[in-house]
Amino acid sequence: MTGPTPLRRWRGGVLPLLLLIAAEWCLHGVQSDALAPPTRVLASLWEGLRDGTLLGASAQTLLAAIGGLAIGGGLGLLMGLWLGLARHAAAAAALSIELLRPLPSMALAPIAMLVFGFGYRLELFVVAFTCFFPMLLLTQAAVRSVEPRLLEVAQVLSLNVGQRAAKIVLPAALPRVFVAFRLSVGIALVVAVTTEIATNPQGLGYALIAAQQALAPERMLALLVWVGLLGWGLSAGLLALERRWFRQGASV
Amino acid sequence: MSNDRWNWRGAASSVTVTAALLAGWAVVTTLGWVSPVFLPSPQATAQALAEGLREGDLLALAWGTVERMVYGWVLASLIGMALGALIGSSPVLRAWLQPMLELVRPLPASALTPVFIALIGLSPAMVLLVIAFGAMWPVLLSTVHGFAAVEPRLSEVAEVLQLSRREFIVKIGLPNALPDALAGMRLSLTIALILAIVGEMLASQPGLGTAIVMAARSFRAAELFAGVALLGLIGFVSNALLGAVERRLLRWQR
Amino acid sequence: MKSSAATTRVQLVPAMHDGSAPAAKPTLPLIVFDKVALDFGARRVINALSFEMQRGEFVCVVGPSGCGKTTLLRLLTGLVKPSGGEVRRDGHPVAGPARDVAIVFQDYAKALLPWRTVAGNVSLALEAARTPKSERAARIAALLQKVGLAAHADKFPTQLSGGMQQRLQIARCLAQEPALLLMDEPFGALDAMTRQSLQDEMLQLVREAGTTVLFITHDLEEAIYLGDTVLALRANPGEASSLARSFEVGLTRPRNQLATREDPEFLRLRRLAFDYLQEHH
Repeated sequence: MTGPTPLRRWRGGVLPLLLLIAAEWCLHGVQSDALAPPTRVLASLWEGLRDGTLLGASAQTLLAAIGGLAIGGGLGLLMGLWLGLARHAAAAAALSIELLRPLPSMALAPIAMLVFGFGYRLELFVVAFTCFFPMLLLTQAAVRSVEPRLLEVAQVLSLNVGQRAAKIVLPAALPRVFVAFRLSVGIALVVAVTTEIATNPQGLGYALIAAQQALAPERMLALLVWVGLLGWGLSAGLLALERRWFRQGASV
Repeated sequence: MSNDRWNWRGAASSVTVTAALLAGWAVVTTLGWVSPVFLPSPQATAQALAEGLREGDLLALAWGTVERMVYGWVLASLIGMALGALIGSSPVLRAWLQPMLELVRPLPASALTPVFIALIGLSPAMVLLVIAFGAMWPVLLSTVHGFAAVEPRLSEVAEVLQLSRREFIVKIGLPNALPDALAGMRLSLTIALILAIVGEMLASQPGLGTAIVMAARSFRAAELFAGVALLGLIGFVSNALLGAVERRLLRWQR
Repeated sequence: MKSSAATTRVQLVPAMHDGSAPAAKPTLPLIVFDKVALDFGARRVINALSFEMQRGEFVCVVGPSGCGKTTLLRLLTGLVKPSGGEVRRDGHPVAGPARDVAIVFQDYAKALLPWRTVAGNVSLALEAARTPKSERAARIAALLQKVGLAAHADKFPTQLSGGMQQRLQIARCLAQEPALLLMDEPFGALDAMTRQSLQDEMLQLVREAGTTVLFITHDLEEAIYLGDTVLALRANPGEASSLARSFEVGLTRPRNQLATREDPEFLRLRRLAFDYLQEHH
């Protein structure tokens, strides 16, 4: 892939580094409401980590994200498996899914607010709803994309439905299902943060906007970077798992 | 949508299921299992929708949202494709920028919503920029991929025919990237709608988003649901339109 | 190859003005491979390869996999540079692709633009050559007529059969009006019947245009049937030359699928080629 010299390996990182240096140079000593030099951002990040506030808020956000993903994503996974295997059910459900899918989850937040009031359950509901459809559709596609030749083999070997699902369909679909899961984790995190802005005073999203409104740009940017790091870390971790478990697997 | 062949039985069962869901909704509300404060009946929703469109300013508000979504999306698509073409067709640029793009990729594009709301603020003029910038990423990333993944044989053909760089991009790169770019544009449309709504909600701009929030605050459930239904309809129709355009443009794929 | 005078080979050099019979005058070869060598990393794939091609000559190259047949084509297009020796065209070293060198790839589906119609694909070559727009339609129609695709001008490549797709690629290459036509196992992926008809069609097309052809194939009988000369390469040449043998094909033209293949000369060459195969496998 790349040449032997270190510069070629790391040349992707040059541009971001240059941007950071430029930002530092421009903003150093400048008083601004919206921007802060990277060094101050890093300092704020470090402080937040040290006094535990950052980790506490992260725990809240992550719990909501993972919880919502478990509920919505789990339901989506089950339905996707079912619809993937049962053609007739899939055809029957098609219109309803197409009508419900475009509903932006953000718009459902007010409805959920009516039902659940402010707080945790609202966030869980919105995250769950947002994760449901992508998991459903991607799982369905994963099951449908099993090589038809393998299904013919199953027929020839006279496997019953259960054996077919367990021995052929699920293992074949698993790499793609895992990719769907990985993508949904990212979505869950983002939706959790965005929902928290208005609804959960203990989460990262709320802290983000609070920092902006308190005109503390270094804290706001630190939180932003932290959210980015969390998302990237989760995704990279899952990608590494994916590579280990499904060595020749599909990767998006 | 599945690409199974269209058949009447599938369509009929599909409509049946949807109708059954609607009927179930009506039954639940009529029987009073859920308080009408939380779940209005379909009839009440339909009535609120009709009234809002006829007498209220629901139509104008919805139009405002649609306008914002479309402008933001068009802007996002143009910038995304232009940048994507530039980066994707140049191995040098790709080598320098790809890692940064890969860092952005796992964050679904609406991840950058908080980023830009925080950075740019939400004055009315900036909302469009926020939408465009947030919705740009799927188009950008998929266009880069489309350009980078040109069949090597075609590149050789271009070399043998001695096509200029511009000719290569226009005659080979762009058509090759079109399926990917269109898929990215479909994602961008969804994101543009979400960002338009979020922008309205957070920046108190007149639109469908604010109508929904206001209905929620005054506990007018039927109007709330009517607004959400209209929103879903907008999303559904715009997606279907784009899908039809995509099928027309890509008919060579069979 | 070139110095022999008495052959039954058809001379494709035009007759002299004064009506006298064309003498075996040494004409300037179109292509010269001069002790060409090519390395892939540490591996020497081609070694000390020297041969010449005259204008209008049909040269077939055969050999086991790994002998560098396909790389040979790329050396001629300038897409690859030799590690040693020189490849000359019209007396000048090959520096890069030239518009009048056309190459027909084996994986035809990948070499066609799927988003353009049949006519559109042929048009690509004309556009690259900056042919004026007014002329293009007529030239495309004529070319499609020649390869028998006139009725399918508005179809997309995915709607065509394998043989038709390959014909389309040939049509596009002919649109370049090439002086040199390079073909990389073009009929390898086709069924036997399609292969035979395409062989004859192609022979006629290049005869009409006087095109020089370098044809790569793994099928020895095809090589003898089509060519004026057959070059047999060896894999892993080591210190020896990559060129193991070269045969001159003294069969009359036009060739015929039945008659030629029963010709005693054809059978003799076939035995020669078979023996060569036995040695090198």
